[in-house]
Amino acid sequence: MKQQYKFTISILIATTLLLSACTKYLDTKPNQALSVPNSLSDLQSLLDTYYKLNNTDPGSSETSADNYYLTDADWNTLAEPYRRLYTWQNDRVFSNYQNDWSNIYSTVFVTNVVLDNIKSIERTAANQQEWDNVKGSALVLRARSFLQAAIIWCGPYVPGNAETAMGIPLRMSQDFNEKSTRSTLKQTYDQILQDLKEAADRLASTPLHVMRPSKAATFGLIARTYLSMGNYDSCLLYADKSLQIKSTLLNYNTINANNAFPFPQLNSEVVMENLIPVPPPISINRAKIDSTLYNSYHPNDLRKTLFFKSNGNGTYGFKGSYEGGGNLFSGVAIDEVYLMRAEANAKLGNLSTAMADLNTLLQTRWRTGTYIPVSNVTATALLQLIRTERRKELLMRGLRWMDLKRLNVEGENITLTRILGGQTYTLPPNDPRYAIAIPEEVVLLSGITPNPR
Amino acid sequence: MQQLEYKVGSDNKHSIVVTLKPKIIELDEVGITSVNNGYQQIFREKSTGSFTVVSNRLFNEQVGTSVLARLDGIANGLTIDKKRANSYSTGIMIRGLSTIGGPKDPLIILDNFPYDGELNNINPNDVESVTLLKDAAAAAIWGTRAGNGVIVITTKKGRFNQPTTIEFASNLTIVVKPDIWYAKPISSTDYIDVEQFLYSKGFYNSNINSVNKPALSPVLELLIKKSNAQLTPAEAEARINALRYVDVRNDFQKYIYQPAVQQQYALSIRGGNQNIAWLLSGGYDRNISELSASLQRISLRSENTIRLNSKLQLTAGMSYIQNTTTSGQGGYGSITSGGGVSLYPYAMFADENGKALALNKSYRQSYLDTVGQGKLLDWKYYPLEDYKHALTTSNRYDLMAFANLNYKISSDWTAEVQYRYENQRTTNQTLFEKESFFARNTINNFTQLNYATGQKTNRVPVGGILDQSNILLLAKNYRAQLHYNRSWKNHRLSGIFGGEIREVNTNTNTYRTYGYNPDNLTSVNVDYTITYPQFVTGFSSFIPNTNFLSKETNRFVSTYTNLAWTYLDRYTLSASGRRDASNIFGVKTNQKWTPLWSTGLSWLISKEKFYTADWLPFLKLNMSYGFSGNINPNQSALTTITTQSTSPYTLLPMATISQYGNPDLRWEKSGQLNIHLEFKSLRNRLSGTIEYFSKTGKDLYGLTPIDYTGVIVNTLVKNTASMKGSGWDLELNSLNVDRKFKWQTTLLWNIAKNRVTEYYTNSARASNYILSAGTYSLSPLQGYPVYSVFSYPFVGLDPLSGNPQGIFNKQLSTDYTALVGDSLKNAVYNGSAVPLSQLALRNTFTYERFSLTVNIVGKTGYYFRRSTIDYFTLFNNGGGHADFARRWQNPGDETTTTVPSMTYPLVTNRDVFYKGSEPLVEKGDHIRLQYITLSYEYAPGKKRSTPFSRIRVFANASNLGILWRANTAKLDPDYLDNTIPPSAAFSVGCNLSF
Repeated sequence: MKQQYKFTISILIATTLLLSACTKYLDTKPNQALSVPNSLSDLQSLLDTYYKLNNTDPGSSETSADNYYLTDADWNTLAEPYRRLYTWQNDRVFSNYQNDWSNIYSTVFVTNVVLDNIKSIERTAANQQEWDNVKGSALVLRARSFLQAAIIWCGPYVPGNAETAMGIPLRMSQDFNEKSTRSTLKQTYDQILQDLKEAADRLASTPLHVMRPSKAATFGLIARTYLSMGNYDSCLLYADKSLQIKSTLLNYNTINANNAFPFPQLNSEVVMENLIPVPPPISINRAKIDSTLYNSYHPNDLRKTLFFKSNGNGTYGFKGSYEGGGNLFSGVAIDEVYLMRAEANAKLGNLSTAMADLNTLLQTRWRTGTYIPVSNVTATALLQLIRTERRKELLMRGLRWMDLKRLNVEGENITLTRILGGQTYTLPPNDPRYAIAIPEEVVLLSGITPNPR
Repeated sequence: MQQLEYKVGSDNKHSIVVTLKPKIIELDEVGITSVNNGYQQIFREKSTGSFTVVSNRLFNEQVGTSVLARLDGIANGLTIDKKRANSYSTGIMIRGLSTIGGPKDPLIILDNFPYDGELNNINPNDVESVTLLKDAAAAAIWGTRAGNGVIVITTKKGRFNQPTTIEFASNLTIVVKPDIWYAKPISSTDYIDVEQFLYSKGFYNSNINSVNKPALSPVLELLIKKSNAQLTPAEAEARINALRYVDVRNDFQKYIYQPAVQQQYALSIRGGNQNIAWLLSGGYDRNISELSASLQRISLRSENTIRLNSKLQLTAGMSYIQNTTTSGQGGYGSITSGGGVSLYPYAMFADENGKALALNKSYRQSYLDTVGQGKLLDWKYYPLEDYKHALTTSNRYDLMAFANLNYKISSDWTAEVQYRYENQRTTNQTLFEKESFFARNTINNFTQLNYATGQKTNRVPVGGILDQSNILLLAKNYRAQLHYNRSWKNHRLSGIFGGEIREVNTNTNTYRTYGYNPDNLTSVNVDYTITYPQFVTGFSSFIPNTNFLSKETNRFVSTYTNLAWTYLDRYTLSASGRRDASNIFGVKTNQKWTPLWSTGLSWLISKEKFYTADWLPFLKLNMSYGFSGNINPNQSALTTITTQSTSPYTLLPMATISQYGNPDLRWEKSGQLNIHLEFKSLRNRLSGTIEYFSKTGKDLYGLTPIDYTGVIVNTLVKNTASMKGSGWDLELNSLNVDRKFKWQTTLLWNIAKNRVTEYYTNSARASNYILSAGTYSLSPLQGYPVYSVFSYPFVGLDPLSGNPQGIFNKQLSTDYTALVGDSLKNAVYNGSAVPLSQLALRNTFTYERFSLTVNIVGKTGYYFRRSTIDYFTLFNNGGGHADFARRWQNPGDETTTTVPSMTYPLVTNRDVFYKGSEPLVEKGDHIRLQYITLSYEYAPGKKRSTPFSRIRVFANASNLGILWRANTAKLDPDYLDNTIPPSAAFSVGCNLSF
């Protein structure tokens, strides 16, 4: 019997020892591909997932804008939310999920994971370049998401009004148990600018690849943000900073108009690559380019053939995306920065510099030797000219909706109309519907305030 | 075999060892005296838990390649949800569902260890018996994986002192062609009408003018020719009308489906002397499916037990399985037209001479003819030919080896060490020959033509495309265990104490080879980092890269104990405890160790002195209570990421978020109470068990809608609910007539009910819970069954428009967005979505050597949603339902139909509303003839002069169909109504013993 107790005790001791050894045994990763994101390379790999972060920009702003129209037959084939979005309805313009809101805030979530986790990684002399790139990139991606959201779901930025006007929910951490609330429009823009400015300090002038944010791209985005606020001084400052880093334009004379989609993806004008997966209404098979817009291109303007595909019946589709396909380019390109600098200069009265930029750009857009540089125009005419060129150059890049809001605030009085089945839909200047309806599902689940109607 | 040692003499120094020679008889479940729970053999008389044993005889009343499929309708407490069954899940439930968001399959134990290989590896002819562990006292020993119950499969063994026996089994099964007419698609003529209608509305304009040049159906091509005046209206009309009478199902029946044939052979030899027990078996299976896919399985197994000395015993064995499958034809529903669009119902696969016809699958042929300048590969798809050029072959080799060493330390203590190793290697290979549509399509898409020079560049080389994947699974199990067994006076104490370690590794690699030439095994490299314009669309695309590597390691460490104390041979008290730990990622370390326990009590009433009921010589009452858990490896307290492939741009790895860390997450807990009464009458005329169980689940995982402003997904698994469940398992065996003619009846009646007792989130939009036909989700309303069928209230069709009408804010409404967005509280509750009760009645009639068994299974108390016309799918994806013919067309139709009119343009939520509305909910109750077996058995034994000691010849028919159903739509509620239920199978076979 005694022996038996000894035996039992020794078994117990052996078991205890075995169990303590197990703790290490259990530390193995269950899946080699899986990790808790705690290294800079983990965080960088999240940001390099281009198909989640670069290729998911929202299309509802371009869908709502006036660069195109639809025939009755084509409009009828669309899903209901798109039919409603096209005609600026008060509500139900998005599907419940997998919409622009979820795409934008998915990017915000990933960047918040990065920004939350980088706090626990020490920035050292050895890793500072990588550390700065990760943090800067995440800030840029979050800020440009917020900017896109503000352009879709907020009213225009009017300086005196921004403290009270509704902004967007500013999600600043990965904790999804936190409740969403709408900030003011000023808070929204302040956050965007703060993030972008910190990022500009951290990022390298030129990136490893234009899929990644860079100083040049960030300056471009800051300029775009200020432009949408109508702050031309700051717009000028940052557009100029961007062009100081990268300013070589693509000569359209070198582009082959016979290709189905003439512009190759990642061409030399791209500062940062982003795209809008083309929304069904804007697909080249449906969207007809506004005929006044098409007719405004001079026959010697290469864009007339490079941007537009004839449908054989007097209507035209858009094939000029910088994506080498039907998707819409929405990143930062040098032409946009030139036009921002030119517009800001014109607005601020620096006519000669504004003219110089406009001429530099258009030289590359016209058949070699045919372009007659602009000179000797009034300030108002020059501004008008630059704004017209801005529209002609940057159509289908998701920028027109932002411009419409800004121009109407400045009193350009643009009324949009759609005609379908004999019925006319109009969107008067500064209509509350310029702040598009937030998906009802989001309002229901989060309790945030819907846009006023 | 049992060895008994009796101490004799006053000093207990002398002993007599009596070895009892077992009489080899096949036992019914009634006669089985002990069960194996994977750790130990438990005497049923002294067990406190709830077990169901499927004996070898019962198990072999059916034939078939799969072990688990045979349990349907014969195992008390087990039901199979065939709608949920797929390659990832068996669909098996023991006593209903215990979890909502966690894994739902029971744990499968093969002999002593969890089986990690492919379940179809197990040859049913090697199976001796199957045991279900149902309650906490029985299953809790398996810890965190036992929450859904445990199925223990025990293989045949050699026995000591057994004469050499040779057993041979063979059977042949013919499965009749599937009933393709069960599917109810829209008729060809209706479909053509829809196409003509949409064409007139310009619905196809964007496709016709598209730069993508998508393939269009033959009717659309004719309509375009008519519009372009390439055909006269009369000619176009005539050619369209000719198609109205074509039904592609005829071609499926004629050219694709065939009766399936399954053959099975098994041979085993076993024997044993005083010190060695051995078994050697082999099996061969060969199946040809209804789609000409083939399966071959060879299995070999050997197991030996050696008594090394009086204290030490070694059991070692090995099994080897080789499984080869080859793909067959595409079935109904899997052959599609271009762009994932359902096959138009008037498609034709062959001309009148049987020559294979082509379908336009990718692009319009008229366009390709001009643009390709004859320099492209043929771009047509030939459904009857293509599968021959795109064969998938899968080879699986499974090697399993085990050793058990058993050492008797003292009269009370026995020590045991066990080890099992499993190595399963799977290689899948799909060779898309250059004749296959897939290869031709890929090559053509990446072809570049220089129209000036006529030069052609193939970015994807002309040749075959070979996809290969290798999956290696390595599982190692180690166990050390002590058995304690001691009897004194009126006491008997037995127990086990043990610890085990398991490790399962899975390594996968997948790769693709372009330009593959099978004749000389050459291939061509492609550049994955550059985009090329697609030939037709001009979109820039990368060449598809499927290369993928993965490595998974799952480790488990467990300690456990199971104790039983019996007093006076009639009172048993048992307790079990177990702690599990694993390397599940992202779980906080202190949550890795989960303690679970159970306790049980049994009382053998019939042994009491006061018990005088002679007619009922056996009566036993069991009670148990305990906790089981459920691990869900997909839940995490930390955010984790998964590395994906390398970005073709930065050439650096990319990662996505795989788990959304939720610090509020808690473990799912479920407790189970079991009361169990077992009885046997005199001469076993009536025997059975009556069991009551109740389950409580707390913090159950469930998908909860979430504000997607804060995270990537719109639903997240959270602790959402608590539930209560209860039920009865009833088993009655009666010997109704016991003469030359015998009549035995077994009745199984399983009732399981549950309801939600608490629900933590309050978003209950109807559309989140009223889902499409065949799927159901957790019900978020207190007091209702965990899985409930709800539907939208329906007030008929509008007599003027044929619009379906619902109720919103107590008012008649056709605002479909509001109707589907309404609270679930305003919806109609139809009933449970899973059967509340299942009844199986098995009658066996025996006359001399002949016996006939008929098994009938019924399910009651549940509802399902049937599918119907969905105009969105009809217009956009070409899939339509025959209900289209019953749609509202003219005022007055609303009195005879509920199917809404066709409207244009589409109102998507109108479809959603009607699909989820009351008229589409059907009662699921039905009675099914599960199987009939007729057999002839002659067992003269060894002594006779016959060459065999036992012969059994049998015929079996299964899947004979439904005898009665509550639904009038003639649907089989066990299956999704867009899949064809399995058709009748007829088998003949024999078993011989020498």
